[in-house]
Parts: sequence; structure tokens; C-alpha cells
Amino acid sequence: MTIFLLRRVFQSIIVILLVTVITFALLRAIPGNPAIAILGPNSFRNPAAIRQFDQQYGFNLPWYSQYWLWLRHLLAGNLGFSWKLNQSVASLLGGHLPKTIFLVGISTILALLLAVPVGVIQAVRRNKFVDHFFNGFSTVFYAMPAFLLGILLILFFAIKIPIFPPEGPQGEGLGVLFTNFNALILPIISLTLITLALFSRYMRSSVLDNLTEDYVRTAKAKGASERRVLIRHVLRNSLIPIATLLGLSLPGIIAGALITESVFNYPGMGYLFYQAALNSDYPILLGITIVVAVATVVGSLLADIAYAVLDPRVRYVSQ
Amino acid sequence: MGRAPTQQAQPRSRLRSKFALVVVGAAALALVAAGCGGSGSSSSSTGGTKVKGGVAVYAEPPSTTSNYIFPYSSSADFSVSNISYLQQLLYRPLYWFGKGETPDYNSSLSVANAPQFSGNNVTITLKHYMWSNGQPVTASNVMFWINMETAEPANYGGYTGFPSSVVKNVKVVSPTELTMTMDKNYSHSWFLYNELAQITPMPTAWDRTASGPSHCTTTVSDCKAVYTYLDGQAKTLNSYASSPLWSVVDGPWKLSAYNADGHMTFVPNKSYSGPVKPSLSEFKEVPFTTDSAEYSVLQAPNSSITVGYLPEQDAPAKPVSATVGRNPLSGYNLSPLYSWGINYYVTNFQSTTGNGPIIKQTYFRQALAYLMNQKSVIQGPLRGYGQYTTGPVPNFPKTQFLSPSTPTGQDPFPFSEAKAKSLLTSHGWKVVPNGTTTCTNPSLCGPGIKQGQAMNFQLPFANGTSWVTSEMTQLQSNAASVGIKLNLKPEPFNQVIALAGGNCVVTKSSCKWDFANWGGGWVFAPDYQPTGEELFMCGVPANSGGYCSKQNDNLINTTLTSSASQAMYTWQNYLQPQLPVQYQPNGVYELTEIKNNLRGVTPQPVTLAINPENWYFVK
Repeated sequence: MTIFLLRRVFQSIIVILLVTVITFALLRAIPGNPAIAILGPNSFRNPAAIRQFDQQYGFNLPWYSQYWLWLRHLLAGNLGFSWKLNQSVASLLGGHLPKTIFLVGISTILALLLAVPVGVIQAVRRNKFVDHFFNGFSTVFYAMPAFLLGILLILFFAIKIPIFPPEGPQGEGLGVLFTNFNALILPIISLTLITLALFSRYMRSSVLDNLTEDYVRTAKAKGASERRVLIRHVLRNSLIPIATLLGLSLPGIIAGALITESVFNYPGMGYLFYQAALNSDYPILLGITIVVAVATVVGSLLADIAYAVLDPRVRYVSQ
Repeated sequence: MGRAPTQQAQPRSRLRSKFALVVVGAAALALVAAGCGGSGSSSSSTGGTKVKGGVAVYAEPPSTTSNYIFPYSSSADFSVSNISYLQQLLYRPLYWFGKGETPDYNSSLSVANAPQFSGNNVTITLKHYMWSNGQPVTASNVMFWINMETAEPANYGGYTGFPSSVVKNVKVVSPTELTMTMDKNYSHSWFLYNELAQITPMPTAWDRTASGPSHCTTTVSDCKAVYTYLDGQAKTLNSYASSPLWSVVDGPWKLSAYNADGHMTFVPNKSYSGPVKPSLSEFKEVPFTTDSAEYSVLQAPNSSITVGYLPEQDAPAKPVSATVGRNPLSGYNLSPLYSWGINYYVTNFQSTTGNGPIIKQTYFRQALAYLMNQKSVIQGPLRGYGQYTTGPVPNFPKTQFLSPSTPTGQDPFPFSEAKAKSLLTSHGWKVVPNGTTTCTNPSLCGPGIKQGQAMNFQLPFANGTSWVTSEMTQLQSNAASVGIKLNLKPEPFNQVIALAGGNCVVTKSSCKWDFANWGGGWVFAPDYQPTGEELFMCGVPANSGGYCSKQNDNLINTTLTSSASQAMYTWQNYLQPQLPVQYQPNGVYELTEIKNNLRGVTPQPVTLAINPENWYFVK
């Protein structure tokens, strides 16, 4: 198991490095002068400003030299400085990441807590009313774009029936999330419904697959009750694909949060990344790419570990 | 410079129609009831009894925040958000521009009296203004700025060559008086509007480095270190409200709270010595991710926003004859705000794609102009909220700079496929509607154009603004009707700017592009007099398309030295039909929504400055 883990960690580092090289090269491959893109139309008046910017940030160097410079700074713990927002990337991530993690974390946990029983019930009551009902429910929310759901929620629950505020909690730090939790309810509902739709579909399918497995028949033949078979045997095995999905959907969930964050005026990581892309703010783009790459790799690693916990055969193979 | 198109604006209308389909099926009655709701006023409210105090909440434009407090801002920080919504509330420029809705010089809000000209000499006399630390605003504070601009031109976003290239000598005569000697006798108006307009007096408290006081006020060589220190302090955002540096202000407001996410609170500067003291007890600015998010907050019952904006795509179409259309929001008054600028897309005279010789032909550019239907764009995608661009000088609002012979309120090249076709056929082109027009007579087509050469062009455009996208699609269709193929390439604003923002020969970047449209044209600030030396002279960096004419240069030079209005008129009458750029409508900058118990917000100046010290609530 230890060797398996060490191998996976080593692979993860290689993957992260490759991601940074590719991202860096792609950003530098964007046509046009990055200094003009950053300095904006005002730089037309003043070519000296463009030259100064190029020198200051190394844009006059070949891209691989720029990459090496950036990597050296990264290894020293310096993620760079945003030219547009006048803040260090670390402080921007520090301000935005906890907000996104809080929003995405709560929504994912809620979605998971709801998806597991919903998927199991659907599988057990296959082709019954409850199955059709949840099928319809998950299809609607799975197909619905995040922005549409967000705007519908705002329209009904903030404008027509003003129960909740139309925007997320405003202000600095995580404290505002707790002091103004009411404002977080609509964004959480929005993200939860979309994630729930995805997870419950997978859970239903997974439970259905497992219900037809030989070990289920064996357990029943040994006299185990339906309830025991379902909870002790089927549920555990059915969670394996969900664990994989959870690990790999992390970047997707953060991307999904971008839309929800924009609609609910809740500036988190997704929104920060989107704005940086529009503004050619490379240090932020690279900083977030690193964070998401690490999250994905860690997510994948955790999924592997979860496999090992949930499925003894994986442990056996790894040994 | 032009405001960056908002990337989030586009999906809103599409979203709305989808939303309607869903809801009609599910809750038709609720919508019907909602649809019967009242709407707001389209004109400014008047009357009511003035109430002292109150908190005004101002919605910042989508995805922009103020994040640079030092008024000596580099190009990257030279934005409306930083200058108008933060710096000018705290630190007053020497001369204020914006009077009513015009960009005119405003003597009452200026820190100095009008400059006195005598030959090549200019005398500036300061009014009695005080810094909040009890010191007066002096001529040395003006000298501090001038020395900084001499030492650090690359770090000032509004740099035009002042003072080094136009001023020979500057001298502090007394604490309230400063004289300058110009290198020649410039137009008084140009020198005031385009050169002196840049200056913001800076307090002595800022003349320092980390190790202590410095002498940038008197010694230019000290300014570099002072700039480095102040720039560093300006990049420590969380210290803005508490900083002993930035709390020394001469404007009507003081910053009491600042959050890097865009939330700012201002309170009245009790020692403000200017003419209009704030009436509000607090002025707050709040950020928004998108205009849709802002609109959601604006629509909510008891919305906290006092001054916000209606997204263009949510505005009902304005009747042609009206100045303002119906306001869908109740409790607010609608007031459109335009910027002091011209809008255009660039045609690259220096193109190396092979199309350069075609673009150099005036008849071709005129044909292209006849294919841009400004009227239709204004009435269609802009919903009536747009102004015609009629030449190199803005025509809204009408100012003393605009030639009387420029037609206002109409397109100088009204849409006409027939005229475009006629221009092409009479110059040796075989026009193939919806096909490819080719040159059949090179001697008529123009120098450098080959037999059989096709009219086929690339047109990258900024894809963030829905009306620009609609306009480009319409232009593509109109051009196709005379066999001109426009290959549209929607790209992010910054990418279009990076490709085509500067003169490619001067900036030594690739000239391999034909046309480009970043959607915003040019806004004249802080060079408020639209004389054209920055945009249309041969070889200047901002002359993106590289248009070059000796006659035009001579006429522009006359506008810089002659104080007579006729010089401006002669120049623009010459340049307008030359089409150095292709004119397109100047879309509304913002459809401002003002709470109906708030007064003093309108008229909004086209300089995009805000003056919350004029605002007050009524009961």
C-alpha cells in the first residue's frame, strides 16, 4: 500500500508539472502583445510603458526562460502578482478559495447525503412512481444550465417572494458567510440541485448493477434480510463509482461554481479565474491552474484510496 | 480610453427567453401578475424637501473594482474605476472637466483659477484649497506632480509628452502661483484641455520614501524613488483606509473603509474647502460580478442600491424621438450616460495580408462606410441608446469643438448598398452580390491591387458585448451583398487590443491583419479636446490603422497652435470623408438607474466623473 501511494504521489507531481508547462505554453501562444493586453488601450499613447512592462515581467525573454523564472518563484512559495488586481496571487487565492470551498463543500456534502438514499430508493423501487419521479427530477436539473436555475431561484425567492437576498454574502473573510448565512442559501440550493441530479443518477445505476451480482444472490440464499443485503453489501459496493466521480468531478464542481458565483454576485475562485482569462492576467491563471491541478490530482488520489478502503480486491492488487 | 466590453452582458436576453418558456408552463399566473407590476420613471424626479444625511449606495460597473489609489496611475491602472470612482473623490485635479453633461472646463470645481496666457508664458494661480492635514494646497504641490511626470513618464497612463516635449521651464513663483514657459505658442484651449488637465496636486506628505522625506517637489532626480515608494504603498490595498499617506485628501470625501473585493465607504471630508460640501453622511460603492447580478439586486424589493444601472439587453426600446425610453424598474429614474468619445473599427493601412493596397483606397473605405448601417444598429441592438459617430470629433453632446458642417443625429454615410456598389464598379471591380468581388481593371482599382484580386478580409472583433456582435453580423451580411467577404472572428477584448491596439509599424508588432473592432473606439480623457494628434497623425502609436496624410498632419498641427475654432473645423471637415477609421455607433456607456428620492445625480457628465457631493435625499 505504501509503495502504491508513493508511486501515485510521484505520478501526481509529474502530472502537475506537465499541466503547468502546457498551461504556460498555451498562455504564451495567445497571439498579440501581452503588455498591450494588460496595460490596455492607454498604452498606445506611451510605447515606453510597454517596453518597461516587458522588461519588468520578463516578456522580452523566450517562453521557456519565463517558465523557469515562474517555476523558481513558485518553488520559493511565490505565486506571482496580479497586474490587474494589484494583489499577490496568494492573497487573492486566500480571499477567494475559502469562499468557493465553503460553497462547493456544503453543496457537495448535501448533494451526496441526498443522492445516496435517492439513488438507492430509485433502484429498489425501479420503474415505480418514486423512480419515475426522481428520474424526472434529476433529468430536469441535470439538463438545466446553472445560470438558468440561479436566475429562477432569484426570481421566485428573492424578487417575487422575497425570502432570501438576491446575492451571496458580501464582505471580506469567511466570517460574513456565517453572519449572513441567509444569503448563502440560494447559491447552495442552486449548486446542490445540479450536483444531486448527477450523483443520484450514478447511484441508481450503480445500485441496479450491484443488485444483479452473484454475491447478492448468495447473501440472500444464506438468509440475509433485504435490508441487510442492501445496506451491508450493495450500498458499500455501489459507492465505488461515486467515490471516483466525487474525486474527478472536483474541477467540474469548481467550474460549475463559476456560473453560480457570477449569478449570485459571490466572487469566488471560478469567477476569479474567468476574469483573469478575460484580462490576460497570467499570474492568476497559472496560480489557479496549479491549485485546481493539485485538487484534481489529490481528488484522484483520494478516490484511489477510497477504492482500496471500499474494495479489498484493490488492496490485494496493489500489494 | 474606451470601457472594456462586459463579457457577461451577452447571454442575458437569450436567458430571458428560455426562462419565459419554462415559467409559462409552470406558473403563468405568477408571471402575469408580475408583468402587471408598475414601472419606474424615465425622467429625473424633481421636488421634495432636502434631507441632510443618508447613505447612497453606488453600484460599480460589472467585474470592475477600484484597486489603485495613487492618482499618478500607470496604464494598467488608468481606468474609470480608479480615477472617477476612487481617486477624484479624494484628490482633486488641478482643472476639472465636466460641466452639466458636457466635457467642458469647469472653473468652479477646479483647484486653480483659469490659466492666464501671455505669449509663450502661462500663469497658474491656485484657489484657497486645504489638505485634510491642515496644510494649504500650494504651487509646490503642483510642481511635485510635474516633476513626477518629468521623471516617470512611462508610469503615467495619461502621458502625452507633457511637460517635457511642450514646456521649457516651470517655476514656482509663490505658494499660490506657478509659471510655465511653453516651447511655442500653443492653442490656449488645447494646452488647458489636453496638457494641464493631467495634473493633480500631490501633498507634501507624499514626497517621501520608506526611509523618510524626499525632495521630488524640487528635485526631479528624487522622483523615481518617491514613485517606487508610493506605487508600492498603493499596491498595499488593505491599508488604504488607515494609511497616513492616503488619508491626506483635498477632495470632498475621505475613505473610511476599503475592501479589495470592491466594497468602499466614503465619508465627508470635514475640511473640504471646495464649493459644494457633501450632504450625504456616507457614500458607498459596491461591486458586482455581472450586470445581471446587479439587476437582480436592483429588482429586489427594498433594494439597497441608490444609483445602479439597467443592463442594455433589459431595456425596452427607446422611441426615436424620446431621450429616454420606458423604465422597467419601479422606484427608480432612468438616465442614459454616454462617454466623450468616438467609436470605430480599425482598417489597417499597413496590412501585410495583401489587402493593404485595397484599404488605402478612399473609395473602398467609403464603400465600406456605406455598408455600416449605424441607424439600424442604434434602433436595433442598441435599443435606441446610441449616438452616431460622424467623424473624428464626438458629436454628443454638441460642443464648441464640433464643426457646424458635421451633421449631428445622422449618419454621414447613410446605409446604401447601391452607393457602395457604384463606388466599386466605377473603380474597376466586378461586383458579385453574395459571391466574391474581384478587380478586373487594376489601373482603376488602385496602385498595388492585382488583376483578379478578391475582396476577402479578416475581421476580429471583441465578443463581450451583444450589440457589437449583432452589428458585426449585420455588417458581414451587408458587405456580402456587394461581394465583400468579411471573415468575422469573435475574440476576447484584450486579444483584439493586443493585435490591433497600437500602430503595428511603430510598436513593431505583426501587421498581418486587415480590420479589427474592439468595440470601444476612443474616449477623450484626460485629453478632453479631440484634436487628433494622438489618433490620426502619421506614425503616432495610437494611430492603430496607420492612416497617414501630410495635409492632415498640417491641419492637426494648426489645431494645436491656433486658438481659433475654425482650425478644428477645417481639420475635421478634411478628415471626416477620408475615413481614417470606420465609424460605428457610440453605444450608451450606462443606463443609470437613480432612486427616485435621490437628487443631484443628473446631469451626468460625459467625462464619466461622479460627484456624490452634489447628491442629496428628499422626503
